[in-house]
Amino acid sequence: MATLEISSVKKNYGKVEVLKGIDLSINDGEFLILVGPSGCGKSTLMNSIAGLEDVSSGDIHIGGTNVTGLAPKDRDIAMVFQSYALYPSMTVRGNISFALEIRKVPKGEREAEVERVADLLQISHLLDRKPSELSGGQRQRVAMGRALARHPKIYLFDEPLSNLDAKLRVEMRTEIKKLHQRLKTTIVYVTHDQIEAMTLADRIAVMKDGEVQQFGTPQQIYDDPANMFVAGFMGSPAMNFLTCTLECIDDCYGLSVTTSDEERYFLPLQHGDSSLQEWIGKEVILGIRPEQITHVIPHKQEESSVARFTAKVAVAEPTGPDTLVLINLNGQEVDCRVHPMEEKPAGSDMEFMVDMSKAVLFDPKTEKRLL
Amino acid sequence: MSDSINTNARRVRVSRIALYAILLLAVLFYLLPLIVMLLTSVKSMADIRAGNLISWPQEFLLDAWVKAWSSACTGVSCEGVGSFFWNSFQITLPAVLISTFLGALNGYVLTKWKFRGSDIFFGLMLFGCFIPFQVVILPMAQTLGWLGLANTTTGLVFVHIVYGMAFTTLFFRNFYVSVPTELVSAAKIDGAGFFTIFWRIILPLSTPIFVVCIIWQFTQVWNDFLFGVVFSGGDTQPITVALNNLVNSSTGVKEYNVDMAAAMIAALPTLVVYVLAGKYFVRGLTAGAVKG
Repeated sequence: MATLEISSVKKNYGKVEVLKGIDLSINDGEFLILVGPSGCGKSTLMNSIAGLEDVSSGDIHIGGTNVTGLAPKDRDIAMVFQSYALYPSMTVRGNISFALEIRKVPKGEREAEVERVADLLQISHLLDRKPSELSGGQRQRVAMGRALARHPKIYLFDEPLSNLDAKLRVEMRTEIKKLHQRLKTTIVYVTHDQIEAMTLADRIAVMKDGEVQQFGTPQQIYDDPANMFVAGFMGSPAMNFLTCTLECIDDCYGLSVTTSDEERYFLPLQHGDSSLQEWIGKEVILGIRPEQITHVIPHKQEESSVARFTAKVAVAEPTGPDTLVLINLNGQEVDCRVHPMEEKPAGSDMEFMVDMSKAVLFDPKTEKRLL
Repeated sequence: MSDSINTNARRVRVSRIALYAILLLAVLFYLLPLIVMLLTSVKSMADIRAGNLISWPQEFLLDAWVKAWSSACTGVSCEGVGSFFWNSFQITLPAVLISTFLGALNGYVLTKWKFRGSDIFFGLMLFGCFIPFQVVILPMAQTLGWLGLANTTTGLVFVHIVYGMAFTTLFFRNFYVSVPTELVSAAKIDGAGFFTIFWRIILPLSTPIFVVCIIWQFTQVWNDFLFGVVFSGGDTQPITVALNNLVNSSTGVKEYNVDMAAAMIAALPTLVVYVLAGKYFVRGLTAGAVKG
């Protein structure tokens, strides 16, 4: 267990810059998730931490030690691979104890360690099987077992759940979370699944094009995205982006939207201040999450941040706990999350309320946050 | 309805019979040389003179085999091909094992420990597969002279290793390309070094390609005549050279039965290798060729 510090790490392949100066640091025992679309450099960053790839410049410190130039085996790390990379010719026992054997741990201790890990992951009955005789979920457990068998400073997980089916993935996600709570280890975890990122992380680094777009706690990333990319990437269904014009009525900043029935509504902003002055009359992008546009909830409708409007339901998609309703505002599609009991069929008018307290504004050109 | 099924079934049966008849004919055609050799080798000379090529022997005699093995003349000496048979083993075994092992090591490096220019290196190495034997004879003779290995078994083994390495490298490289590199990464993180990964992780996966390589190299080296005749000394000649000498040194009568028996003896080891490991050969070749 240890801290991890990554300072201005760059990586070039010839002229292609894969990592453009990454700065991240996490404390002892924290769960860091690197998330982003494929090709964003998250796996390269992970391999650089592991020492499987050299960095072009910058430093990586694990537990206070500069490991930038060290070989993987000298960094005191363990890694779980996407393909699990279990040694096919060895039994599960052999796989788990391989690293200990290489490090010349005495046989008795090795066996005790294998037993401990097998108990922890409930794979004791599989110890004498070969990887080819295991199911996908079992292989995944063995891969984790192999990483847990030593007590390294940092665990690295490279998309460990992406080869599992949906149900098993959710189960293993919970297991990993439990494991982390129990072992209090420092973990770096790469995924492209934003739900995995939200559920597991203490801190998330959202990456795109070799740069960290935002680094923060899951709730910060979700409620307070730094730019349109982060806002759109995190959350499912994704945040609505609505191009509209900023207005100022009686010192109250707000946005006007038009429904498909040509009805105009004014949505007042909660935290509008004079910094928005220069944007009055110009187009901005309103970012608002589907769960903030709902059916009218009586005890909430009097709050100052709430605005109401009526719009025609274009499509209704029931998901069980709630129904996603698609409406049209300013000629753009907007997702709303309503209670199934309140749902109206497609084509009929429905009354909605918007909670503007968590609404965000973006500059349409730079895609940066305005508010 | 049932009529049409019946005619259908009959049509299938007829086409089956025709198919097997044709296959049987093809098998016979291809086996004919072997049959003629075997039959001739167990006939007596009188029998050979009296009958035709494919006539059944009057009586089965192993005299020709015994003579070919122990007393037929190969040039000046008349001790049969027996000692040359063992020569061939002494040449073939080390040549096959060393070239296969080096090929495995090369393939491992060229796929899992790539260095700058490793692909070009592999490309250049492939040239070795296209260079005809005759081209390397003179430079190789000179090299062996410098090394002090001219006319020795060691020298001949060396030539076979060098020439065979291009092929074995190609086989192993193409096989290892489909072995996931994450295995090597995992082993590196577990603390294993270059040779530990090779011995513990990579080699145990390589059985199919080893079989392919060994069959290929065994056949190549055992059947080689040109390198054998050029680079070996009189006593260390392989059986292919001895067979040629045996057939060419005639003392009046041409003993076809002895020639055939000697040829069979020379071909036996490769036949055995194919029969024992033939199915691995096909399996291994496709294992290397088809990814995933």
